[in-house]
Amino acid sequence: MIEIKNTEIGFDASLFAIPEMDFDQGKVHVLLGKNGIGKSALLNTLSGLIYPIEGSLSFDGKLLSDYSYKHLAKKIAYVRSNVKGVPFLTVDAFLLLGRYHDKNFIGKHSAEDYGLIQKAKDLFGISHLADKFTNELSSGELHLCAIAKAYVQQTDYILLDEPTSHLDYANKRKIYELLGKMASEYNKGIIISTHDLDLAFKFPFDFYLIESQSKTLKSVKTFKEVEREFI
Amino acid sequence: MNSNRSNTILLLPVGIGIVLLALLGLHIGDIPTNGLDVYNAIFTYSDSNLSELIIREIRLPRVCIALIAGAALSIAGMLMQTLFQNPLAGPYVLGINSGASLMVAIGILSGAGFLSTELGLIGAALIGAFVFGLFILFTASFLRSQIGLLLFGVMLGSFVSAIITILELSSEAESLKAFTLWSMGSLNGVTIEQLPVIFLVFILGGVASLFIVNPLNLLVLGEEECRLMGYNVKRLRLMIVFITALFTGLITAFCGPIAFIGLAIPNLTRMLFKTQDHKLLLIANLLFGALFLLSCDILIQLLSAWILIPINALTSLIGAPFVIYILIRKIR
Repeated sequence: MIEIKNTEIGFDASLFAIPEMDFDQGKVHVLLGKNGIGKSALLNTLSGLIYPIEGSLSFDGKLLSDYSYKHLAKKIAYVRSNVKGVPFLTVDAFLLLGRYHDKNFIGKHSAEDYGLIQKAKDLFGISHLADKFTNELSSGELHLCAIAKAYVQQTDYILLDEPTSHLDYANKRKIYELLGKMASEYNKGIIISTHDLDLAFKFPFDFYLIESQSKTLKSVKTFKEVEREFI
Repeated sequence: MNSNRSNTILLLPVGIGIVLLALLGLHIGDIPTNGLDVYNAIFTYSDSNLSELIIREIRLPRVCIALIAGAALSIAGMLMQTLFQNPLAGPYVLGINSGASLMVAIGILSGAGFLSTELGLIGAALIGAFVFGLFILFTASFLRSQIGLLLFGVMLGSFVSAIITILELSSEAESLKAFTLWSMGSLNGVTIEQLPVIFLVFILGGVASLFIVNPLNLLVLGEEECRLMGYNVKRLRLMIVFITALFTGLITAFCGPIAFIGLAIPNLTRMLFKTQDHKLLLIANLLFGALFLLSCDILIQLLSAWILIPINALTSLIGAPFVIYILIRKIR
């Protein structure tokens, strides 16, 4: 469980405040808010890439800042919004990098590792891309692979920054369904940011809004509560 | 992944090619020698036999340094390219050579003190390369554009050559000649006594590179991805700069600046093997780099009856068009 209390979030200066909020495992948490309001800043903070401007967050009862990089990589995976393809890096090799945190310095991959990437490929329907180079994929395909890599990482939490922004409608649906499935079947805590309000509200997710007037994060239940913010 | 495995077989002919060319290299020259001379020169050497003397004192060091310099500069280039995620990076274009050159220039041209001794020169070149490497690393932390970083390297090179020109003007004729010859690049300067030290430093850098192949595989995804996968990138970056400086400084001190190998060979190997597996790339760069520089040297020897070509000129003549080809491919 991620617990946040009296915390200010931002890159260099505070963008918004979180009076109190918990993110449980087994659910999909959706962050909503205008451009530049601080959704990415919150995800970056949760991933440990940046520190909160004020206050602190705890993860399973321990301060996030007390975790080592390696330990954190076993607990939290983060799919950034700008996934870049790399020339000559195949999808298989890319997915195997998701096991990196579990490797010693020799870095030999086990049968379980290969089993895991096969399972990820099946789950995300990307088996046909296995031998393709990541820079030759469409941005939608690349994003699917990046999410599959986060799955391969086998963490309790997966954070995704606008995972659906590059995708067509069918693929957006597919991603939301898969995220829901990972939360319910594998008990993962999924936290995403998105601008796809209409579609997201069709799913039984938990929603949060970063309100631009009060500059605070609050929990919202219905589309109506959010609508005002965007009109 | 299967595609890698089938390409790995390419390493075999390259390895055989190195052995054959090395044997050829021991035979090429004004004085004809045969296989028995080579065997004797290596195993039962006596300095009263002219053929054995020439093989052991001139040709053997030359072939060895060609192999080591080619391998070292190629590996250094591979490390730079992965570090900066930039296929156009290399120890020469980024100006790491310039750091070593500047220190050697100061050493030779000032002609005084500890700096102008052999050990002093090597130490100075290593320090120069390392300091410039750190400088580029620091600059890269806020100069994010790929082309920007290259321009910075070129500017660094221009700046250093301006300083060197000033040093040249105010130096003695003899040291000026020595420095000019050095700056053309030459594989002739190394003696058999120096080889063990060079080899040892090369092995040190090679083993250090082997230690970081796995994090390098991760680094191609970018520094933040590295961090998110639980790896501390700062240490890795320092390690890369250290190894690159070690290789570049070592080779620059002994052979002068040798351009473009560190840029062309890593690109060639990535294109041939189509992989980001740095264990394979490390071996490939080692073998292809060694083969390439040895071939260049043998070509120079074969042409020497008609025209004298400095090694740095030949690698530039071959390397520069290849780099332009990569540029055009990339921009299109």
